[in-house]
Amino acid sequence: AAALCPCRAVLARRGGALRALCGSVRGLAAGPEAHFGFQNVTEAERREKIYQVFENVAKKYDVMNDSMTLGIHRVWKDILVHKMNPSPGTLLLDVAGGTGDIAFRFINYVRSIRERQLQRKLKHHQNLSWQEIFESYQADKSKSLGDSQVVVCDINKEMLKVGKQKAQHLGYSEGLSWVLGDAEELPFDDDKFDVYTIAFGIRNVTRIDLALQEAYRVLKPGGRFLCLEFSHVSNPLLSRLYDLYSFQVIPVLGEVIAGDWKSYQYLVESIRRFPPQEELKAMIEDAGFFKVDYQNLNSGIVAIHSGFKL
Amino acid sequence: LRCQLSPPQRALRTSAVLRRVSEEQKEPLASSSQQQFDSHPTDPRPEQEPQGPRPSYTGQGGQESEDYESEEQLQHRILTAALEFVPEHGWTAEAIAEGAKTLGLSVAAAGMFHSDGSELVLHFVSQCNTKLSELLEQEQKQVQLGEAEKKPTEQFLRDAVEARLRMLIPYIEKWPQALSILLLPHNIPASLNLLTSMIDDIWHYAGDQSTDFNWYTRRAVLTGVYNTTELVMMQDSSPDFEDTWRFLENRVADAVNMGNTANQVQSTGEAVVQGLMGAAVTVSN
Repeated sequence: AAALCPCRAVLARRGGALRALCGSVRGLAAGPEAHFGFQNVTEAERREKIYQVFENVAKKYDVMNDSMTLGIHRVWKDILVHKMNPSPGTLLLDVAGGTGDIAFRFINYVRSIRERQLQRKLKHHQNLSWQEIFESYQADKSKSLGDSQVVVCDINKEMLKVGKQKAQHLGYSEGLSWVLGDAEELPFDDDKFDVYTIAFGIRNVTRIDLALQEAYRVLKPGGRFLCLEFSHVSNPLLSRLYDLYSFQVIPVLGEVIAGDWKSYQYLVESIRRFPPQEELKAMIEDAGFFKVDYQNLNSGIVAIHSGFKL
Repeated sequence: LRCQLSPPQRALRTSAVLRRVSEEQKEPLASSSQQQFDSHPTDPRPEQEPQGPRPSYTGQGGQESEDYESEEQLQHRILTAALEFVPEHGWTAEAIAEGAKTLGLSVAAAGMFHSDGSELVLHFVSQCNTKLSELLEQEQKQVQLGEAEKKPTEQFLRDAVEARLRMLIPYIEKWPQALSILLLPHNIPASLNLLTSMIDDIWHYAGDQSTDFNWYTRRAVLTGVYNTTELVMMQDSSPDFEDTWRFLENRVADAVNMGNTANQVQSTGEAVVQGLMGAAVTVSN
């Protein structure tokens, strides 16, 4: 903020002609404008602040999610994976996937599809000899996931740490990897993944357009982009109740459960600052995706956007 | 300040993807994006419809669009490719995913379609109907050119229905599943539409000139014949489905006779009414 002051003084004295120059100087000195909740900050500051927010909440992230949404976030994430309908052999990139919720659901889903496939195959094995059936059991057992894999990418070390601990605790080991990375600049090659998901993460990205471009880059042709995020409620009555709940209840819960009022204040404000459904859809289309569509959950409290790289 | 690529540039990049997909099917062209602007005059892709601007229903840059495939065309290609996997996977999203894979797309592309395989079945039925129309068109041309005899109606109907049902033979194992999908409430409008237009087509080429009530009865009758024969075919295990064709022969004969019987009934009815009128007049006198 200090760096901004001299420029502002100059502006006031010299007026329009120098505004452009100062604008660019200001840009060089302190970074382009961004927002952190309802505050206006520079982009660099915003990244720093968001990193700190998640560093602070990492350990209590899941507990807070449950208490804030009364457990409904689990249903939202289930719906996301159902919509994805992954077949065995799918390569998933879950960005901002911190504590692994989407990744674990993906693994469960693929496993159950695979089991059903195996059962169906067995039904056809009417005329095989015992030896052949035994061999097919052996072969299939080793591929309980059917070559599906999920890569969880997050910018925050603390969140990844919590995620890895959870995975160990719940017994997920196969087909799962954890990568530290920035959604605006992913450490992956082009055309690698079948599906890219970002659940409740894109709101925290500073340059959403860059994240979308990166998503486009790392997806295979025909690949799918899925974004689960808080969005805008159009129903006025529900909107009032939702606002009331968000601003009065959630920060209090944050203080009581996680001992951190400010982070949850940020959370609620950032939801309000995030573009509404149609605008996000336009941004996704700008990045090059086709068949972009969105599905409102709970009348717009949350929305799933989907697009294809064609 | 959102970094927005101008529409032509973006369409360029995305079309590079679509083009790449199709290039894998032909010999690989040196794909530099510049080439997209040179029109490919001899583009042998069969699915390409008369060049027109890409439908801009998503509001994406559509000026330089003649070379680009639309999303719908791509979807059709995926579904056609998926048919190959139906005997193994059934009419399901899995078959569609396999089809997408053969086109060089990710399996996630199957997410563009309904997860119950509806579009795959409807696409197939539509394709079969188109093939039937072409067949009948060709036959008609041959008759017009004098290369073939005009078949009597009964024979014509039998042959047309048989030709259409034979298209199901490669998928006959999974056809019951397809029928159940076609009967799902949200599919009924589309499937009914396809059925009625197919029946219409057959009657059209059979030379049906009627403009009266017969138009409806004819269609209803032939629809009944088609549907029952289809169901018989599901259960048929005779060599080359000869039982089915015999059943078809009988049904078509019945249908034609019914037409005659109807006429007879009508004239008998008229005669009876006249008799009664005469009796009434006599009695009143």
